[in-house]
Amino acid sequence: MSRKKKKKQALGPVGTATGLFLLSAFAVACACLAILGVKLSNAPVLQVEPLIPLAVYAVGVPLILLWLKLSGWKGDAGLVGAVFLLCGIGLVIQFRMGSFAQGLAKPAAMLPLPLGLAAFMVGTLLTGKGRGAWLAKAGWLAYLVALGVLAAMLLLGRSFRGGTYLAGNLNPSEIVKPLLVLFLASYLSRHQKAFSETQKGIPVPPLHALLGLVALWAIPMLMTIALKDLGLMALLNAVLIVMLFAIARSTGYLAIGLAAVAAAGFGVQLISANARTRFDVWLNPFADPTGKGWQILQALAAMYSGGLWGAGLGAGVPQSVPIVTSDFVYAAVAEEIGLVGCALLLIVYATLFSRGLRAAGATKTPFERLLCVGLTASLATQTIFNVAGVTKALPMTGITLPLISHGGSSLITTLLIAGMLTGLSDRK
Amino acid sequence: MLERLMNLLNSDVGPDLLRALKVVFLAVLAVATFGILYAPTVKPGKVTSYGLLRVLFAGALFAVLIYQATWQIWGYTNPDFVKFMRRYNRRPDAAEKQVMRGPLLDRRGMVLAAPVIGDVWGRRYPLGAAAAHPLGYYHSTYGITAVERVCDPTLSGYAIDKRDEALGKMLFTQRAAEGEAVTLTLDQRLQQKAYELLAGRKGAVVVMRPRSGALLALVSSPGFDPLNPAEAIRDEKNTPAFNRAVQGRYPPGSTFKILMAALAIEKGLPQVYACPGQGYVAGSGTPPIRDSEYYAYQRRGAVWPGWGRIGLKDATVHSSNVYFAQLGVASGPKAFNDMMAKAHIREPLTYLRASGGELKSARGHVPEVTKARTIALLAIGQGELLTTPLHVACFTAAVAADGRMMRPRLCQAEPIEEMSRLCSVKTAEQLRAILREAVSRGTGKGVDLPGLNVCGKTGTAQAPGGEDHAWFTCFAPQRKPNIVVTVLIERGGFGAKAALPVARALLQEADRLGYVRIGEEAAP
Repeated sequence: MSRKKKKKQALGPVGTATGLFLLSAFAVACACLAILGVKLSNAPVLQVEPLIPLAVYAVGVPLILLWLKLSGWKGDAGLVGAVFLLCGIGLVIQFRMGSFAQGLAKPAAMLPLPLGLAAFMVGTLLTGKGRGAWLAKAGWLAYLVALGVLAAMLLLGRSFRGGTYLAGNLNPSEIVKPLLVLFLASYLSRHQKAFSETQKGIPVPPLHALLGLVALWAIPMLMTIALKDLGLMALLNAVLIVMLFAIARSTGYLAIGLAAVAAAGFGVQLISANARTRFDVWLNPFADPTGKGWQILQALAAMYSGGLWGAGLGAGVPQSVPIVTSDFVYAAVAEEIGLVGCALLLIVYATLFSRGLRAAGATKTPFERLLCVGLTASLATQTIFNVAGVTKALPMTGITLPLISHGGSSLITTLLIAGMLTGLSDRK
Repeated sequence: MLERLMNLLNSDVGPDLLRALKVVFLAVLAVATFGILYAPTVKPGKVTSYGLLRVLFAGALFAVLIYQATWQIWGYTNPDFVKFMRRYNRRPDAAEKQVMRGPLLDRRGMVLAAPVIGDVWGRRYPLGAAAAHPLGYYHSTYGITAVERVCDPTLSGYAIDKRDEALGKMLFTQRAAEGEAVTLTLDQRLQQKAYELLAGRKGAVVVMRPRSGALLALVSSPGFDPLNPAEAIRDEKNTPAFNRAVQGRYPPGSTFKILMAALAIEKGLPQVYACPGQGYVAGSGTPPIRDSEYYAYQRRGAVWPGWGRIGLKDATVHSSNVYFAQLGVASGPKAFNDMMAKAHIREPLTYLRASGGELKSARGHVPEVTKARTIALLAIGQGELLTTPLHVACFTAAVAADGRMMRPRLCQAEPIEEMSRLCSVKTAEQLRAILREAVSRGTGKGVDLPGLNVCGKTGTAQAPGGEDHAWFTCFAPQRKPNIVVTVLIERGGFGAKAALPVARALLQEADRLGYVRIGEEAAP
């Protein structure tokens, strides 16, 4: 172990990341062969076009690594490794579920990966080498753009399967997350002192600071309620709580926040019929097994059939879960790679978040620190909400699993965030 | 290249290859995961490294994983969940569906079909070809037939609600749960004996209990291997997969005279007719109906003088066609049609009602008679008349059971049911005496076993395109019959010669096993 470690350190962060990527690519290749094996034994025609995203992955990621090396990046290799492993698993699962089956005829399925890899580079460029501090000036701009996106969704969006989408099934609400995190980081870091005041562990920010934050925060929150996007609202509030905790470093914020989230969750289901349904299904899915409980129960049945070791990639029947490629993709993963594979995947996620927070601790300015914490928290809460929703540990909130769920705007935004974290982790 | 890969995947190695890939994938994923976990990280910050948040996020994911395991690994402990999966899980090889199929047992609990441990589609049939027709087969390619099919919900455990429990047990013990057993009315020894007696000839045997309708043997020959039905299905010349006992339709020949005799006694028809040697012509343009002796005399160069004026008893004993043709015409269309309805000739007979449906015989065929003279040919079991061996066995059984026609049944759990009343108790009694004489001094002499008082009727049915079909149907003993045996040999020639010895040997075997002398359960 120690020899290995030494070797890795000798390799430098990019070298380590490259090694991790090679391992990931090997795992992805094995998975692809297994899936192709099953597909070919069903229909003996090898389709090349659905393999294009995998080729983009195999070529694009090394290019990014080369670029990191050339730019002298010295960040967290584990973070980069985790991002590209998860990204590869996501591609494999989407390939397996036939998301790329239409090939180039459906660019909406093929484009997100190259765009996402570009977004990753943009993110790294924005925050790398201490440039992140400069972003603090864009806080208000980010806030206004976020409000603009939400307003556009309200005015132009069409409702589809309980979510709101713009023309072409575009869901730009994803971008609201990093934008509002950027705004919060900028705003809170400027009022660091005010929000750090505590008495006996209970945070007591001055009234004017608190009212200012509440007023500014209320606008996007009301808009998400109007959009009926309760998942997004829950996620943003969780991120806000984590960021308040991060700036004040008072567990009081976490305790108050958790209590507030629980109360809000309970309160929302009293008001909104949609939320109420999800709450009821969570409490007792067997009350209406063929109706409201159908999706979650099929997801659990898929997991059960996967068992400890999984059915094997391509060998399960996750199609029996409705809309399995997006929100419920974790059920497909669980069926085919089993509880063991899920445990490994969750370790990778946990490492990603842990590395993000470590990177936050190592940044120089409070703004960068908050930005890093906020972005990590946004990915972490999204992951926890999604996985908990699919396993019925929490009510379903209708948010995607970062890097694995099907969905272009989700993948691009997540890779942008990952790129920003990669840049922020760069020691400079 | 692609083709070679395809061949590899579809060969025996295919599944192993995929399994190996699965293992390699998980192993590499594990190495990559721990590589990421232990990869060198950035120097910790001076202010904080957010230990609490890191633990919180990782802890939340871990908690969710544990909760996931309560479904993914221990889901079977939740009865609601198992119930849901049993109904709505579309995975074909789902664990909750892998219940070991219950056995089929004969009336004494002997195994007729048993599961094979460790093989979901495996099945063991100790009687092999002898019982392949009534039991059917359970085959992954050719599907499920006959008793295996209609008893499937019970055998595969769908009928039990204890299935949830069974599933849990199975997951713990890694041993398939068992479905329920189904006990049939068959006697494995009689089934085997009857099949051996047919000795590969095309034909059928039905052995049943007259008052309960329980089928003791239901044999069709030639048989086939229930584990490998492919050949039998493809053999269009001998059609071994065809169940002749219930699906085969044959002219009943003289066995049909039992019904005509019952009709005559029941309706009080005139019972004495002149039977001239030249035969009987029912109407202008129809060929004369003659006794078989006419042809026998002709071959010897002699002239058959005829039976003269005879009654019902002598006519049955000699199986006189000339007599029964006249009796048929005298009975008239209404009485005749009425009798056909009571004997259920035109209907399929349901011989098994089980959890997964019913097994029915083919319909017999009798034209709807409007003119009396058309009955002449039908009355001797010829013309446009077809019955299955099961139909013949059932009306024979009705005479044995005091005129009550019982529904034949194959499963012990089925209730005993009366389908109709064929004739009065008195008629049945008289008819039994007549059929006794048909054996003691008539065409059925060869089956007159001492002490058994066998009653029966031979049949030699002409059919276009070859030899006659040989019939023999009988019951014993005369006073309180306990067993009915009906034998058909396709293209066997004379009933007394081809079919009767089979019935004789079966009656001896049944007597040895105690069926003839020991009474049976009857309808309440």
